[in-house]
Order: sequence, then C-alpha cells, then structure tokens
Amino acid sequence: MNEKRVILVIEDERTISNFICRALNANDYKSIPAFSGKEGLSLFFSHSPDLVLLDLGLPDMDGMEILQELSGLPQETPVIIISARDRESEKVKALDMGADDYIVKPFGVSEMLARVRTTLRRSDRLRLSQGSQKDVYHIKDLTVDIAKHQVLLDGEEVHFTQNEFKILELLCIHAGKVLTYDFILEHVWGPYGSSSNQILRVNMANIRRKLKENPSEPKYVLTELGIGYRMLED
Amino acid sequence: MTGPFIKLYHGYLYITRGLPRTPRNLLTTVLFLCAACVISGELLRHTGGENNSDLVFILAIMCISLLTDGYVYGIAASVVGALCINYFFMFPFRAFSLSISGYPVTMLSMVAISAVICALTGRIKAQAIEATRREQDTKALYELNAKLNAEKAAIQLQADRETIRGNILRAVSHDLRTPLTAISGAASVLLSSEEIASSERSASLVRDIKSDADALSAMVENLLSITKIRDGVMPLNKQEEMLEEVAGDALLTMRRRFPDCPIALELSDDILYLPMEPMLIKQVIVNLLENAIRHSGDREHIRLRLFRQEDWAVVEVRDRGRGISPEVSQAVQLGRPLEDNLSGDSSRGMGIGLSVCQSIIKAHDGFFAAGNDPEGGAVFRFGLPMEEIKDE
Repeated sequence: MNEKRVILVIEDERTISNFICRALNANDYKSIPAFSGKEGLSLFFSHSPDLVLLDLGLPDMDGMEILQELSGLPQETPVIIISARDRESEKVKALDMGADDYIVKPFGVSEMLARVRTTLRRSDRLRLSQGSQKDVYHIKDLTVDIAKHQVLLDGEEVHFTQNEFKILELLCIHAGKVLTYDFILEHVWGPYGSSSNQILRVNMANIRRKLKENPSEPKYVLTELGIGYRMLED
Repeated sequence: MTGPFIKLYHGYLYITRGLPRTPRNLLTTVLFLCAACVISGELLRHTGGENNSDLVFILAIMCISLLTDGYVYGIAASVVGALCINYFFMFPFRAFSLSISGYPVTMLSMVAISAVICALTGRIKAQAIEATRREQDTKALYELNAKLNAEKAAIQLQADRETIRGNILRAVSHDLRTPLTAISGAASVLLSSEEIASSERSASLVRDIKSDADALSAMVENLLSITKIRDGVMPLNKQEEMLEEVAGDALLTMRRRFPDCPIALELSDDILYLPMEPMLIKQVIVNLLENAIRHSGDREHIRLRLFRQEDWAVVEVRDRGRGISPEVSQAVQLGRPLEDNLSGDSSRGMGIGLSVCQSIIKAHDGFFAAGNDPEGGAVFRFGLPMEEIKDE
C-alpha cells in the first residue's frame, strides 16, 4: 500500500487541529483539516477519507449529528471522537452510536497516533474478512479457541466459566475497540438478561486474575473508566 | 374595653415589681380597704345620715380583685369590707349589729356583688394577660422573621459570590485546557521532528515545555474538579464501580507520566464494588501517588493498597520517604485547605492536590486521613462508604 491513508480532522480549535495534522503528516498520513461541521461533511464527501477524527464540541453543528450522518453511510468509515474529559455520558452515547474510539482532551500525540493506528488496522481487517469470524484468536501469549471453547495462556490451559468465556470471546472479536458495558451485557446475557453491571464487573475481575494481569501494565484487557472495556491487540 | 385595665394592671405591676407575690397582694388589699375606710369616714362626716360607703367599698374591692392574683383576695376583701361597713358606718356606729332589719340582706348582697365583680375582673384580667402574651409572641415572631430574612439574604449573597467565583474559575480552566493541550501536542510534534531531535539542547528545552504544559494541564483538571464539587452546581454523577479498576487506571496514568517509578499494588480479595464518580476518585488516587513521588523523596517503595474495613472501602498510599510535617497532617485532619506557605515552592501544587482530594472525598461522604508510619514514611488513606448513604 503505497498510497498515504487520508484522515479528516474535524476540529474547530486551530491550534489543536494544527498539531494533530502535523503529527499525522509526520507519521505518513495525509491529513485534511476542517474547522466546522459543515466544512467537515463536505470535505468528507469530496475526499472520502479512511478515518475521521471528530470533535464533539463544534460551533455550528452538534458532533452527534455528524456522527449519525457518517455512521449511516455504506463506506463505514471509522470515526474517532475527540471529547472533553467531563462528559462521560456523551462518550458512551457516541460509542453506542457507532463511533469506533475516543480520545479525551487533554491528550498526547502518542496516544492519539496509537488510537489512529489501531482503528485503521481494525477497519482494514473487517473489510478484508467481510464479517466472517475467525475461530482462533492469538493475542500476545493468549490463545482463545472459540470452536473448542478453550483458552491457553503461555501454552497452558486456563479454565473460565461460561459467562467469562463469552465476555472474553466478545472482547477478542472486537479486539482494539472499546466495548461499552451495555454492549457487553446485551451480547453476553441477552437483551432481556441481567441488567446489573455488578455481575459483569465481578466476572471481569475474575478474568483478569485468571489472566494474571498486572493492573499497572495490563497486557490484555484495558479498563475504559466509566465506559467499558477494550481488548488490546498484539 | 380592656385597654385601660391592661394599662392600669401593667402600671401597677411595674410600680410594685420589687415585691414578691404574696406580700404584694396583701399590701394591695390592705391599702385599698384602708383607703375605702378613710373616704367613707370623710363622706359620713360631710353627708351625715346618707350612707354611700357600700359603693366606695365596692369600688375598692373591684380595684383589689383587678390588681391581685386570683379570686381569694377579692372575696376576702368583700367579706372584710362588709364587716367594716357594718361596724363603722352603720347605726349603731362602732358596733356589730345584725338584728336591725335589712342589715343581713345588705351584707349578703354586698358580698354577692363583690364576688360577681371579682369573677368578672378575673376574666378581664385573663383576657388582658392573654392579649399581652399574644402581642409579645407576634412581636417575637416578627423579629425572628426579620432576623431570618437578613441571614438568608447574607447567605444568598455569599452563595452568589461563590457561584460567580466558581464560574469564573471554571471558565478560565476551560479556556486554559485547549491551549495547554495544543502546547503539549505541538511540543510532542517538535520532539519527534528530526531537526529538534538532533540537537540535544533544543530537545531538552522542548521536553521542558512539554512537561510543564502537562503539569499545568493536570492542575487545570484539578481546578475543574474542585469548582465542580465546591459549587454543588453539578451533583456527583455517581455510578457503581470496581475500585480495583479505578485504581488500575490511576496506576496506568502514573506509569505514563512517571515511567521510571514503580508503584506496588496490593488488591483486596473482597469485591469492592461501590458507588462513586470514577474520574474523581481516580484523580484522588493520582494526586496521592503524585504527591508521594514528588514530595516524599522516595520513589522506590511507593505502595497502593486497597482493602475493606467494616463498611468502608479503603485506599492507602504509603511511601518510605521523609514523612509529612505536623502542619500538613493537622490540616488534613481538620479538613482545612493547606496554607500557601506550607506548600511553598519546593512542593508546588501539593496544596491544590490535597485540597482537591479532600473536597472529592467529602463529597463522597468518605473519610480522609494522613499520618506518618512509625517505621518511616507517610501514609495517606481515604475510605468510601460501601453503601450509598441516603439523605435523611
């Protein structure tokens, strides 16, 4: 792939937009800045970018509206939300509406670049596999075999309960993406199942202990505080 | 109708205020009876046979029953009065006589009239006292009301002032956040560019810009949290969280900011799942860890421990450093913000950081404590209630 990936940056603060674009350009992406919602949408249709970085606090339009418009399109362009720290519910809503990831202001360049890389890789993978699911997932020293219902850590089998396995499976399928609590609850316990968050949290605590996770340096499952979980990729 | 009586009564009470109750009543009775005797005697001397003494006595008895407490003195006075009239002012003078026709009737009717007057004045007096009491109550209520209104106005003014201050602080913090993010971001871009990276001097300057911009960002986040809580404008947005996840996230943040600083984590076997605003609690843990890293002088043995103690989920940050001064632990104990001179330049930001911790924990109905380990090092500890404390 010789062509540079195109990233549309919809952000009204010029200084922020400026350093985001510089950082992206320095890392072999082609960035297109848009300073308002309307400009962003028109640039989106004229350039068809590979990824959109979208600030939710725009002067002319609600970021959610743009997100809604983009997520309904057949291109399925991934969107990373840029949001202010103190707006938890907004992030959850955006993720549930189809955003792929989010970055919180204030954020660092390396963090942003990591998110961009992950999201692009994920969307490429989805495009290539066209929805067909893998049977075995390898993440670092972890092997999750969906068909055999088996988990190997460093080659040794680790036993999980039914629900723990389902959670792990869901995280593997969507590796790299933030899954909200509601999303996981619905997919593991069903839409009419337990609506209690506690049972999910306790299951997750057990999964972490079984995977021998070090909380200050998680290898597999990352907590997105107040939002959900994310499986790290290799 | 009762107006003059009340005034008379209160005037009399005022004049005789020095005397106890019983002597006062006795004195009143004796005085008025004597006065009646004297006046009747004078009348008798001037008018001769025409006897008006009973009317004079009735007037005196009316005054007595009005000015004494209860019925007893009035009735006693009417009996004594009747006897006086009989003895002094009726034929045969200076002798008792009940044998002359009409005399017993006069005496009895005199006593009866006096008794009725006593009863009537008693009622008037009760009404008068009641009226006075009501008037006093009304006055007291009015005064209380006025006082409360004044206090309310003062509190409102204070609250308005606080709100304005909070709003300004919040607005300023918000406005600082964007340029700080941009500065830090631009510095990162510069650092990764070749021309800067190749010159060690420029690179170290840009690194300083970045690290200071990041430190300022952290401080702005602290300020935002504090305005959020102190105004009470926004109620805490509590949700149930696993404490270990919050602590883990805090550790991750610390690891990113201080990569060369190992922090040991000790988890509890209990499930610490409790209501909190996760971002704020994370900030408390980050502040405490940063405090330990920056001010303890020990970067090797910082420990974060989570445990359950009765109905509290407790988070403890320990180091093996120089410990905290008595002023700091006292300020923490009293929940007072740290004085500027305590935080000084050597411990920049310690005041704000701990102050933020205190406010956040207080808003969560938790406890916050600081002290020194006898074996060396400082211990900061906070606890959150496992169950939501209901108001009322």
